[in-house]
Amino acid sequence: MSANGMNKSFPIDRRAVLKAGASGVAAAAMLPSASWAQTQSPKSGGTLLLSNGGDPPTLDMHQSATYLTEFVGSPCYSTLLRIDPTDINKLVPDLAEKYETAPDGKTITFHLRKGVEFHNGMPVTADDVVFSLDRIRKPPSGIVSPRKGLLGNVKMVEAKDATTVLIHLNAPQADFPFNVANPYNVIVPRKVVEPLDASGQGMKRTVMGSGPFKLSRAIDGQIYEFARNDKYFGQKAYLDKIQMFPIKGEVERASALKSGRIHGCFFFANEAVLEGLRATPNIVASRRPTPTFINLIPNVRVKPFDDIRVREALSLAIDRSAFIKTVGPLAGAFYHSTGLLLPGSPYNLGMEEIKKFAGFDTIPDGGGNIEANRKRAMELLEQAGVPKGFKIVLLARSDIPAFRDSSINLAAQLKTVGLDASVDIRDAGGFYAAESGGQFQCLAHSVAVSGSLPDQILGEGYTSFGGRNYGGWKDDAIDAAFRAQSAELEPEKRKQLIKDFQTMFLKTFYQINLAWVGYATAYSKSVKGWHELPDLYANMQMDRVWLDT
Amino acid sequence: MIGYLIQRLMTGFVTLFGVALIVFLIMRVIPGDAAVMLSGAGSGVVSEAELQQVRHRLGIDRSLPVQFADWTSHVAVLDFGTSLRTGSPVIEDIARRFPYTLQIVVLAMVIAIGVGVPAGVLSSWFAGTWADRTLQTITIIGLAAPSFWVGLMMIIGLVYFFNWSAPLFWEPFWQSPLQSMSQLIWPALAVGLRQLALIARMTRSIMREVLNEDYIRTARAKGLSEGRVVFRHALWNGALPIVTLIGFEIAALFGGLIITETVFSVPGLGQYVVQSILDRDYPAAQGIVLILATIVVLGNLGVDLLYGMLDPRIRVQGARA
Amino acid sequence: MTETAAAAGPLDAYAGFTPAIAPPKPPRSRRILHLARTQPLGAISTAILLIVILAAIFAPYISPFDPTVGDPAALYKPPSDTYWLGTDAFGRDILSRLIYGARISLVIGFGASILGVVVGTIIGTTSGYLGGWLDSIAQRLMDAMLAFPMLLLALAMAAVLGSSVRNVIIALAMPIVPRAARIARASTLVLKTTTFIEASRAIGCGSLRIIAVHILPNTFAPLLVIMTAYLGLAIVQEAALDYLGAGIQEPQPSWGLMMSGSATSLALTAPWIVLFPGLAISIVVLASNLLGDAIRDVLDPKLQRNL
Repeated sequence: MSANGMNKSFPIDRRAVLKAGASGVAAAAMLPSASWAQTQSPKSGGTLLLSNGGDPPTLDMHQSATYLTEFVGSPCYSTLLRIDPTDINKLVPDLAEKYETAPDGKTITFHLRKGVEFHNGMPVTADDVVFSLDRIRKPPSGIVSPRKGLLGNVKMVEAKDATTVLIHLNAPQADFPFNVANPYNVIVPRKVVEPLDASGQGMKRTVMGSGPFKLSRAIDGQIYEFARNDKYFGQKAYLDKIQMFPIKGEVERASALKSGRIHGCFFFANEAVLEGLRATPNIVASRRPTPTFINLIPNVRVKPFDDIRVREALSLAIDRSAFIKTVGPLAGAFYHSTGLLLPGSPYNLGMEEIKKFAGFDTIPDGGGNIEANRKRAMELLEQAGVPKGFKIVLLARSDIPAFRDSSINLAAQLKTVGLDASVDIRDAGGFYAAESGGQFQCLAHSVAVSGSLPDQILGEGYTSFGGRNYGGWKDDAIDAAFRAQSAELEPEKRKQLIKDFQTMFLKTFYQINLAWVGYATAYSKSVKGWHELPDLYANMQMDRVWLDT
Repeated sequence: MIGYLIQRLMTGFVTLFGVALIVFLIMRVIPGDAAVMLSGAGSGVVSEAELQQVRHRLGIDRSLPVQFADWTSHVAVLDFGTSLRTGSPVIEDIARRFPYTLQIVVLAMVIAIGVGVPAGVLSSWFAGTWADRTLQTITIIGLAAPSFWVGLMMIIGLVYFFNWSAPLFWEPFWQSPLQSMSQLIWPALAVGLRQLALIARMTRSIMREVLNEDYIRTARAKGLSEGRVVFRHALWNGALPIVTLIGFEIAALFGGLIITETVFSVPGLGQYVVQSILDRDYPAAQGIVLILATIVVLGNLGVDLLYGMLDPRIRVQGARA
Repeated sequence: MTETAAAAGPLDAYAGFTPAIAPPKPPRSRRILHLARTQPLGAISTAILLIVILAAIFAPYISPFDPTVGDPAALYKPPSDTYWLGTDAFGRDILSRLIYGARISLVIGFGASILGVVVGTIIGTTSGYLGGWLDSIAQRLMDAMLAFPMLLLALAMAAVLGSSVRNVIIALAMPIVPRAARIARASTLVLKTTTFIEASRAIGCGSLRIIAVHILPNTFAPLLVIMTAYLGLAIVQEAALDYLGAGIQEPQPSWGLMMSGSATSLALTAPWIVLFPGLAISIVVLASNLLGDAIRDVLDPKLQRNL
């Protein structure tokens, strides 16, 4: 291997990235991949009719964390790198046609395509990339950035020239290119957005990207319409138009799909609704695990949840199989993992290991004895001085089944160990207020992470500084273990460090994993060229989708 | 008359000021402020410092009297501000959504009056027979069933039996009136059922009373046909309370639509105001409540004036009050 | 009827009665005994309400299952021998939840209507009797609350107060207060000018005493009528609040709660989950409306006209 690196073609996969980083080899690539096989030749034209689950609360991708915004934004934007539409573990070029990682793994150079324009005709420059990434990691006053953690390792972003961007990292990070490729981390024009930010408006009502489609119409509560961007730098989209209708109810969305009024919807949770769709000819309906998990989160700032025995007792009290059986059909929480990562991830601990942690042996096929677990839970509660009939209130929000229905099931389960559990259901605003103010005992939280890599899931969900530390715990050892695995470039070593991290975390019961959620998609068989990835947010650009009519 | 009108308008104005104050205060004491909602949305823990910046940007870090004065002074010149959720001026959002709501209200009232009044008349005509009893039972059930439940059941029935699906795009009336009507007929039925029942029952009891009056007996004695007696004499004389009821029910309908629009996902004012309250969208929620209240106040005033026109005695008494 | 006509004239049609100009009546007990005979519908409604109340009181003895704990092996089962009305998404028996739900729904219904009517009556009679600037302020405040759409006021109050039974009662009583106050005030204004009140004043009775002894008892009839009307309305509104996601706490069931949340997603595949609670609400509301009619007819036949 040469000292100054070797060229690698896209698509690069995650393992290749790890290796490349490890040996200090630059990864660079040319040309978008056309690796998704097409048996039929695509037809151009037509209008794709989709449904979204409601109105996006904002159109500002950087400020949002909901699929409602992402589904509307994705077709309009480009990112530096893009997740391969056929494989979540690979990246393909987007605005950057190639990139190199310096030998020390701490500087990454992105080479932008030339002649790319935003929808308003302004060129996409390195300065816009610097502005966009800085807007995400260091948002201006009054702008909120839920994903600044993804770029938390960035020391500085600089524009070397009009088409070259340097990103300096604090420490090497194997997963970093995937963080840049996060579908929310889109590139926006400085000239348009900076004044909007200064005025306090942000991009709430502004969509200005360089993606395959332009947002041509947006009527709140009615319709979001996209027209093909004929100046798109990549292969032009097949579809003339996309119309997206916000429909809140799943039953209504499904009936629109069944009656052929829409071609597809990429978000279903309820299994009864999905079953109806599966039974319909000409509809492809399927469910796959997506990076969303449901955790029971005790508030360690209040008694008695500061006591690890109490938290362990909570974990022991819950029959995870029963939870999955009940909440699965309601919220899509059908899946379980043998670690903290996505079901099936090579980084998970495995069944034999996970079973050793209190309560985790009740996952399906775990062979655990729930009665014995609950007996042990009652002993632990007694030791911790928690009286029988202790009142415990689970905080839940009313608008999302994953929260509400999980809590209802958990309350019933916690009663079996002598806790007087009930659920306080609030509207989203009341819920946030209590949650962010730390005014709750426990909550069942559905955590939707954008991305399924260890840095993304562990970093966001399982560190003291991560965005999902609702329980308010603080543990330097865990944070250090997280950073150690993140900076490790040797794949096998990293794998071990990730396992060590999980073992360390699972012992603390700061967050008690219950199940993984799989959101379902359903679309008409006339929709071609779309691949379902185990990620809710990836592959929503719709540029390769065509209609076979 | 003019004096009375001015006096009523003045009290109406004071009432609206009270509404403004109440809705303003309520929105500010609901836990979870606009900043939390704008930056929350399931994205993770947001620091208090960040929230404070957002509050500052929204101007909700100022003292309550300052905010209230600011808001009311803008409202006074019909500037309702910008919706925090949709980002467009509240007045534009309302202007776009109001036609749907108005259309449902009109449609519901047309159904309620068109079916309710004849049903009531028939019922009184056949008082005591099985037809009367059936109608009475149906109407009292119509009064008892929660309208959103009726809506839900209606949706289930429509989807199950007719493979109906909710419209994707609710056509504005002026673009395709027929389609728009056919889309809005179901929510109108769901919400108007109660009004239909009320009007039918009211008509029946009034007709029963009126038909026993001396002048009706006189009319009958004169040999007028029964139809003429009922419709020309009785119904006309009983119209006053029915009109009053209708006036009040229009105001009540606007309230009832709040939930029915949510059930049917109609992009009208009702759904908008519920969403605004849930999203802590202060300008939008305050603006719509104020407008709905204005409709109620004007509706009451209208009813009173109409009352006065139909029954001159009241106008005189009212003017004296 | 001077001021009353303009202020409350049309409204009383809406609320379903005209203020009673009723001098103290002879004991009513005897007439109430006639109720069953002269008011068969009223008697049936009373029986229905009594049955529901008894079911609520004796819920632990008559409900076949625990309403809060579900059987994971019996998720959304249709009505059967074991589960007479089927089970919900958590495998909980719907009949048991209906029986237990009657407790909360009735407590909220009675609680909110009584609280609203009592507070409204106190405000209405006091301000009506005392008059002056106090009356004007109270009147405008009540007008403002009246102009507020009823459900919105309750929704906003529920969001402010949070979701316990007590708070929901308060939230639902709020919109009732101005309506009751208006009616009480109208009656008071009429009574105020009657000779027996003037006589009491002449012999030196205090305002408080006059209100308590002479005015309140005479506003009783109309207020009882609207109380029964609002009993039903409060139950319906509680269900609406639950539907909108601002109701009471799980897992204790209320009829509204049973129709909210995931229940609506299952409406097509398991319609019994939303069907029965809605029916329960309709029946109780129906019964309370009919009872209200009957009470009105018995206490004051003159009011028979409306509804």
